[in-house]
Amino acid sequence: MSQVRIGVLLSIAVLVILSSALFGPRTIMPFNLSDIDREILVSVRLPRVLVAFLMGMALGASGAVLQGILRNPLADPYILGISSGASLMAALGIIGGFTFLGPVTVPVLAFTGAVVTGGLVGIMGWKRGGLWPERLLLAGVGLSFLFSALLMLMMSISTDEGLRRAMLWIFGDLSMSEWSRIPYGLAFVAAGILLPVTRAKALNALILGDEFAHSLGFSPQRERVILFISVGLLTAASVSLGGMIGFIGLLIPHIMRFFLGADNRLLIPASALGGGSLLCIADLISRSLLPPMELPAGVVTAIIGAPYFLYLLRRKDVLSI
Amino acid sequence: MSSASKTAILELNEVGYSYEKKRPFIEELSFSIGEGDFIGLLGSNGSGKSTILKLASGILKPAAGSILLWGKALSVVNNRDRAKLISYLPQSLDISVPFLVKELVGMGLYPYDIPPAMSVDDALEMVGLIDKADARLTDLSGGERRRTFIAMTLLQGAGLLLLDEPLANLDIKYQIELVKLLMKLREVKNISVVMALHDINIALQFEKVILIKEGNLIGSGRPEDVLSKDMLKKAFDVDVEIRKTGNKGIFISFENNL
Repeated sequence: MSQVRIGVLLSIAVLVILSSALFGPRTIMPFNLSDIDREILVSVRLPRVLVAFLMGMALGASGAVLQGILRNPLADPYILGISSGASLMAALGIIGGFTFLGPVTVPVLAFTGAVVTGGLVGIMGWKRGGLWPERLLLAGVGLSFLFSALLMLMMSISTDEGLRRAMLWIFGDLSMSEWSRIPYGLAFVAAGILLPVTRAKALNALILGDEFAHSLGFSPQRERVILFISVGLLTAASVSLGGMIGFIGLLIPHIMRFFLGADNRLLIPASALGGGSLLCIADLISRSLLPPMELPAGVVTAIIGAPYFLYLLRRKDVLSI
Repeated sequence: MSSASKTAILELNEVGYSYEKKRPFIEELSFSIGEGDFIGLLGSNGSGKSTILKLASGILKPAAGSILLWGKALSVVNNRDRAKLISYLPQSLDISVPFLVKELVGMGLYPYDIPPAMSVDDALEMVGLIDKADARLTDLSGGERRRTFIAMTLLQGAGLLLLDEPLANLDIKYQIELVKLLMKLREVKNISVVMALHDINIALQFEKVILIKEGNLIGSGRPEDVLSKDMLKKAFDVDVEIRKTGNKGIFISFENNL
């Protein structure tokens, strides 16, 4: 039964990826490719669609895992401040005009910022030999405020062009997607999803409480550290791929729980596929609606996603972790 | 059959534990749980019942003394092996996760690579919830929820069930139902049960009680011996008396207190 559901989601994902690659301001006919269409498809569309899909996967999966380890239905990948640290570093790179690593300079800076912040949150969330959900959450919120303030400070003293580009990046910018981002994105997203999928039973038990997890034969603290690392990897990968895009990490896991239930063995891959598909669709809409202007993809995800989520909420009251 | 002649599943030997560094909470606590035992753990609020159950389940590590599971130090038994032998249920099952009943019960198989012979349906059948298999946990009553978790522990196959106030928040019908279920499981599957509880009337139906005061064991044995007027005064600081009516009907009278 669950294989069928994942199969359906996988088919939807493939369809979404194909149509996102072919449609847009200019429709590409796959069986009759002109040179210019081939160029657009290979150099622009495909990397962009794949980056969007990978980023959406990372957000969806990390949201599901994080809501589980923090036992908090309001948790999303940005709540731990990891994205604020990443944004701060990315803005530093953009506004400072750094290019020491070529086109991947900003993503690498963002990734570094995310990993360092994740480490800091982990250190602050650590007490008596383990990570504690409440401490993690509060440490994340605290760091998030600090880094946001520093980001504002940096932006308020920067030039107009740097500011505009930094803003675009922070609100989620997929227009800079290139093939160079795919290999590392794929590596981190794959690792970040496989890790919690193999620990999904432990996450199910952890959601019930540390004592249940213990009684069912898991070490709650050890499992939480492993899962926290996977969330850190996924968040870092997603922010460095395309900045910050809201909604997906918070609400895709709830939507998937609504349709598929709370079992993380199914929920994590489903949230990844759902997140990837939604971000691809949102990106397709954002570049097709008012060409040549592009809307930020994060705005589109929220505008199509939030009403749907509210509709589900009205229909049934089981949207809880 | 007295518990002394049974094989000990779990033995606590002079166990000590403290929450704060300087002030010991539990000191030199010793008792053992035999195969098929049905033990009530009684004591006032904050007397250490939960702490003792958490020590016995390995959630808390003793600061002194030893805890032996089938003769082997509990601290060296690996997590999954321990989970096949001991199951612990905390007092609060107030879980907002919409797991299905059958999903939750199925978690009892987590410690196993090769699932044991019992199925989720078998376990639900035993606790009388087979027709609720596809219900959401969040839609069940308190009593049904408690039984769902018992079904999970059945599937887990542990021979020792440690229950922290399983009767709290249940009305008398559900309380009786749950105790009857546990007694039946003891008969059918030879499961040992240790249960923290407050209801002395129910504890009087057990074959053994352990009375705790401020982390110390002040009495253990048959309930009619342990729960005397003096002992209850000592443990709970109240003047109550146990009166027998007929053969089985027993109740406590607190007429002097009200």
